[in-house]
Amino acid sequence: MSANDNDIAIVAFAQTPSYAHFNNSEPEMIMPLVNDVIGQTGLDRHDIDFTIAGSCDYLSGLPFAFVMNIDAVGAWPPVYESHVEMDGAFAMFEGFVRLKCGDIDTALVSGSGKSSPGSPRIFTALQSDPYVMAPLGVDHVSLGAIQARMLLEAGTVTEEELGAIAVRCREAGAKNPYAQITDALSLEDYLAQPLYNAPLRQADIAPTSDGAAALILARGKKAYDLCDNPVWIRAVDHRMESHHPGLRDLTTSVSTRTAAGKVGLHDGPVDIAELNTLFTHEEVILCEALGLGDGTKINPSGGPLVGNPTMAVGLTRVIEVARAIQNGEARRGVAHCSSGSALQQNLLVVLEGDK
Amino acid sequence: MARPAAVVGIGQTKYKRRRDELSLEGLVREAALRALEDANLEFSDIDAIVIGKAPDALEGVAMPELSLADSLGAIGKPIHRVHTAGSVGASTAISAANLVESGMYDTVLTVCYEKQSEGNATWALSGGKSGGQGAGGTFAPWIMKYIQQSKAPEHIGWKVAVKDRLNALKNPYAHLHIEDISIEKVRESPMLWAPLHFLESCPSSDGAAAMVLTCEDKVQRSPNKPAWVIAHAKRTEFGQFPGRNTVAPQAGIDCAKALYKKAGITNPREQIDCAELYVPFSWYEPMWLEGHLICEENEGWKMTDAGDTELGGSFPVNMSGGVLSSNPIGASGMIRCLEAANQVRGTAGDYQVEGARVALGHAYGGAAQYFAMWIVSSELNPF
Amino acid sequence: MTETHAIDYTMEFPYTRTVGPVFGPFLTGLRDGKIVGNRVNGRVLVPPMEFDPDTGKPVELDFVEVGPGGTVVGWTWVSDPSPKHPFQHPFALALITLDGADTAMVHAVDAGSIDAMSTGMRVEPQYHEDRHGAVTDVHFVPEGTATTVAIVPGEEPVMITEHSIALRIQEELHDHRRRFVEGLLAGRIIGQKSPVDGKVYVPGRGYDNMNRTLLTEADEVEVADRGTVVAFTQITPVQYHGQKETEPYIRCSVLLDGADQPVLGIDIRDITMADFRIGMRMQMVWKPEGQRDASDIDNRYASIPEGCYETWKPTGEPDVDPDSLKEHSW
Repeated sequence: MSANDNDIAIVAFAQTPSYAHFNNSEPEMIMPLVNDVIGQTGLDRHDIDFTIAGSCDYLSGLPFAFVMNIDAVGAWPPVYESHVEMDGAFAMFEGFVRLKCGDIDTALVSGSGKSSPGSPRIFTALQSDPYVMAPLGVDHVSLGAIQARMLLEAGTVTEEELGAIAVRCREAGAKNPYAQITDALSLEDYLAQPLYNAPLRQADIAPTSDGAAALILARGKKAYDLCDNPVWIRAVDHRMESHHPGLRDLTTSVSTRTAAGKVGLHDGPVDIAELNTLFTHEEVILCEALGLGDGTKINPSGGPLVGNPTMAVGLTRVIEVARAIQNGEARRGVAHCSSGSALQQNLLVVLEGDK
Repeated sequence: MARPAAVVGIGQTKYKRRRDELSLEGLVREAALRALEDANLEFSDIDAIVIGKAPDALEGVAMPELSLADSLGAIGKPIHRVHTAGSVGASTAISAANLVESGMYDTVLTVCYEKQSEGNATWALSGGKSGGQGAGGTFAPWIMKYIQQSKAPEHIGWKVAVKDRLNALKNPYAHLHIEDISIEKVRESPMLWAPLHFLESCPSSDGAAAMVLTCEDKVQRSPNKPAWVIAHAKRTEFGQFPGRNTVAPQAGIDCAKALYKKAGITNPREQIDCAELYVPFSWYEPMWLEGHLICEENEGWKMTDAGDTELGGSFPVNMSGGVLSSNPIGASGMIRCLEAANQVRGTAGDYQVEGARVALGHAYGGAAQYFAMWIVSSELNPF
Repeated sequence: MTETHAIDYTMEFPYTRTVGPVFGPFLTGLRDGKIVGNRVNGRVLVPPMEFDPDTGKPVELDFVEVGPGGTVVGWTWVSDPSPKHPFQHPFALALITLDGADTAMVHAVDAGSIDAMSTGMRVEPQYHEDRHGAVTDVHFVPEGTATTVAIVPGEEPVMITEHSIALRIQEELHDHRRRFVEGLLAGRIIGQKSPVDGKVYVPGRGYDNMNRTLLTEADEVEVADRGTVVAFTQITPVQYHGQKETEPYIRCSVLLDGADQPVLGIDIRDITMADFRIGMRMQMVWKPEGQRDASDIDNRYASIPEGCYETWKPTGEPDVDPDSLKEHSW
């Protein structure tokens, strides 16, 4: 199979486990991954043309935390490098855009976050409107729960169906070496759990995790120089919705639907979808918006419900799809990353293998 | 190969210690709407948005692209947020240029801002702890080292401080308008971080800056002259390591080399008509003239001393008044980039460099370890 | 984990937000006991917006009072509130469409019990006695249960709303940091030596960034408690929330003998600038064992805490040639 000059592929990837708490620094989490992906390609660090990271320094309350992270990706001699204050999937978007300019060949992408030292619910409350929502502590769990109730009361989904999603992800997670939540869960266990943020139970909600992910992108023929089995990024797109819940229909995801059209999701079969579902009910909304049916395996890794390294969780979705394609479990798939509460912003990546 | 991008719209807010009549939304919109008006476009003409700012802890708003999305007309569109410390404004401009150059998005709105008055930057830089040294405390020892090795006389810093404030008097957007600025006034102002006096340091400002960039096919939609993005470059190095040159960091040198190569510049001093350099503390003017290969080592202060960097000099620097006159941190780098564009578009008003064809916009950040630069020109092929 | 190795720190700041032409009247309204929306393109938006949310275009300001009653259109029961929530007992966060409004706003409903909550229920505002122009001046309660609060409208419109944010950070000292602290308390300064190039970093960071190599306890070495000044400045403290410094002092970096990276942020309070030089030899004067306090150290700290030493004094040795320090001066 030959590549067009401007086709871009993932040629190496690595991820940490999702840790409930990683008791060392963020650079110490990232560094082994960077060495791993560089090793996979046989490149020298300084053969990599562009470096881009995604992280959020407010997550652990440390302004400029991302500056330390360059210790892990390497910056001596100096490197061509940038950073987005977003999930690593958005860093991958920047890397993809940069390679599309056509004058460079390779990019090192990483995403990392440590939620455990901070207060994730307060952090996400600080994402909400600073005048009318943040002072009330309107966090992502609460907005997610309001969204879940709307779905339940509209009859779109039942509690048992949400429970079935939680059970299925837990079963998948038990086979995922990177998963954080691996305890078995039956539907009876689920239904017996007390309501936490009603109507959500703890089992509906992704844990908070520390973790990191990294990958290398290569353009055109370079991809075959670095990898026998590159996974091609056919398209990337992301779309934003209103920040104000009162201005949105929370029972659907217009932005995901728009992005799906832009990336040509249904131009081919979708064998696998790894979705950034922070809650069970988000799977229902996303599958509807993406138009996914029985032919698509949803979150075979267990998804964020079994491991949710903030700022790396979206990039991890990309890696999970790439791995399934490399393993021959899928030929074409979609990875999804979400930012903000109640699926405010959504990014899609369509990935495809040669075989 | 990449297609070219051009700046077709520029918008700035008035910079001020506290923009007390504006919300955060109002602040970014003041710049964004002016940029759209300059480009004769509306939000509906925009294909993607890039925003940039310094740490979220400065305003206490996490990932502000989420809460500002509606106000920037971003609904239904891609919007992403760049953060590369003090260089972020220029990195964000470059990211916006990349979106156009890649062929993926034709017309991009980019906005950077800081509303420093909502919080306290020194507090945030200290991680909320006592004894924070601020940026000045970080850079002062390196400035001292520059002075020692270059044998520059101490008045050089004062001269830069005066020159930039005089330029600011010609810029209605500038925060500081110090009518009676003088060498004496700078020298007599309190010593903050030896050798830096209060008036050799940047202010703390509220403000936003915005640009509209578009592709060659769509340049004609906008009535005003485009500024073509001829080249851009970024380089990063560690903030601390044995052997580091803290006066002229290698990343700054590599960044300049890459930039000039891409632009086809072999003699920056001659081929660049003027520059907006990120100079938050006076001495960084000569340090970056040297550190970005505009002149030889230890010669930068002589350019300053000879008046070469004044408006009307042979290599004007910070015609707008620079960071020393307006410092909405996250926007300060974008202001450098857009003021460079103003010069080559001939829209710099009273601080216009006559006949400017090629201009440099520059920013640095962190422990002088992040560099982002661009060259804009009135012509697509200036050389 | 002993208590000395636990970091429990709250990063807190009282942010002051200027509210602008639309949030201003909204928050002024809450202070004065009414809820204000604005009419945009035939819709009444609550909270009001500065622009048309469909297009982003500016709008004429056309305020309209709504409520006071409203209908819950979506809700969740927060059974385990965070410190950021308006109540520390279980309550509801709800989407409420106020009478006369076309859009719902998020607010808190103090309903007592989840059983009192339902979609479609009627609620009304409960104003607080203490109001200063913030969204937290009010919450909602089931209709008919609000108590009357005597409200005298304020004189000046609300221009600024204050929002105090506290982020609590709790973690253990990283392993190498813990060993560094234990060393200090025992009178030893421990660095980490790269097995790749032999460079010694103090304090260690757990890795050698130049060679992208993780470092472990096996890579730890003791360095001297004396060294050479490689960089300094005089700090005139800028005042900010939490700043305790008031007088100027010297902040310097000291390259300890046996190290390749200076210890940053050594504060000198008993030597004048005129007497301070790069190349000067300095000795750390330890506090007696048992009186040393390293509790300032967190996982980012790059220095030796002042609580561990009485002072640093010149050794009296001849100065080191500043040129020979070039590799280490930052």
